[in-house]
Amino acid sequence: MNLRLHIWRQAGPDATGMLKTYDVANVSEHMSFLEMLDVLNEDLISKGEIPVAFDHDCREGICGTCGMVINGRPHGPVAKTTVCQLHMRTFKDGDEIYIEPWRARAFPVMRDLVVDRGSLDRIIQKGGFVSVNTGNAQDGNTIPISKLDADRAMDAAACIGCGACVAACPNASAMLFTAAKVGHLASLPQGQAERSTRALHMVLQMDAEGFGACTNHLECEAACPKGISVEFIAQMNRDYLASAIGGRD
Amino acid sequence: MRAFGEVWRSNIFQKWVMAITGLLLFLFLIGHLSGNLLIFLGPEHMNEYGHSLRTMVHGAAIWLVRGGLLLVFVLHVWSAIRLSQRNRSARPERYAKVDSRTSTIASRSMALSGLLMLVYAIYHLAHFTWGTAHAQFYAGQKGWEYTLADGIVVPDVYRMVIASFHEPLITAVYILAMILLGLHLNHAIASAFQTLGVTNKRIVPVIRLVGPLLGIGVAIGFCSVPLSIIAGLVH
Repeated sequence: MNLRLHIWRQAGPDATGMLKTYDVANVSEHMSFLEMLDVLNEDLISKGEIPVAFDHDCREGICGTCGMVINGRPHGPVAKTTVCQLHMRTFKDGDEIYIEPWRARAFPVMRDLVVDRGSLDRIIQKGGFVSVNTGNAQDGNTIPISKLDADRAMDAAACIGCGACVAACPNASAMLFTAAKVGHLASLPQGQAERSTRALHMVLQMDAEGFGACTNHLECEAACPKGISVEFIAQMNRDYLASAIGGRD
Repeated sequence: MRAFGEVWRSNIFQKWVMAITGLLLFLFLIGHLSGNLLIFLGPEHMNEYGHSLRTMVHGAAIWLVRGGLLLVFVLHVWSAIRLSQRNRSARPERYAKVDSRTSTIASRSMALSGLLMLVYAIYHLAHFTWGTAHAQFYAGQKGWEYTLADGIVVPDVYRMVIASFHEPLITAVYILAMILLGLHLNHAIASAFQTLGVTNKRIVPVIRLVGPLLGIGVAIGFCSVPLSIIAGLVH
């Protein structure tokens, strides 16, 4: 198939960017979206032009490195799919595709489609540590955990930190990301010791990074490649308030 | 203990302020609506109700409620302004193309519908409470007294409502404001419970269904008064 791409090109963090149009010919429907961009880049390199920069790593949908807004939707039109797992069979011959980077004050564009998601790392760092006993590793089944709690923790832990929730949110809020991280440890007995300070510190860091507030559009949940529920946001709202008024920090 | 200011300024805390004050304002609207619907029972009930509001606890109750309402209203608007500013600044560069999946006209226009309703609320008070707008219809004017069954003479609120809604422009603006109210509440109620942290798997789907219905129901309830007057059902 033949496609017309409108791709955000920006030479550096302080450069002015703009959408540039590229035509790509003979795209196979079996290619992933990133492979299609690889083909475009090969073509650009052979012509002596600068290839389009984009983040990618595992290309298996599990690392959270790739991500771009395709036709107004983070990771493209297919639900619960990262852009590396999005295949060209989703598109048809003659389609025009808009490709833009994640847009948020807290995600400055480094080059083309690459953004700096260090703000998410700093939120994680504010979460601090989990207290564990030193010495020999204890038996895996020493602490009883109900199947419900284990499943819930796993649902939250599925977050790959790609930032699609921020990209999809009309307010560029990182609530779903932070809530998944807070909710993951809050669902397990091992996470209880530092539960209240963790929620407080991570939320305050999220604000400090300049992310917006949640207005409950639920766009994040719909855009999340791992389908993480906004239920975790509601839970974080409770945890945060409890910690803010009752906490010792 | 964190400095209270840091917590108070945080987005989630401001959201709590917005949710709690919003739900209180919604409760007030339910009370207001039940008072309005007394018009269907005739002038005696309506005017008696108006009189009892003004004289409850020797006239102190109404001022307590008004004071509380003003406080709640100011907090609601203030948190809305703070949060909208932050939300706007969180995305300085817009997307060339946006294809939203779940957000609605209602959820995207909360600030706008809220702002327009604020303007309407001031006009509404000027009309029905202060009597400065449309003074010719004000219940407190000379000659518009109504004598209750127990002989007390009170302002004829019933007549004020009927006369006002015979004015097409007043009715049109009123209905427009109520459409905005329905739009605002359509998103507001379920959103408030999400902010307050309701996660029960049986309750959440009910809230998401009933919230919008309740919001639209209240707006329709308010509209039923002018529509019945225009239709000649109440006169």
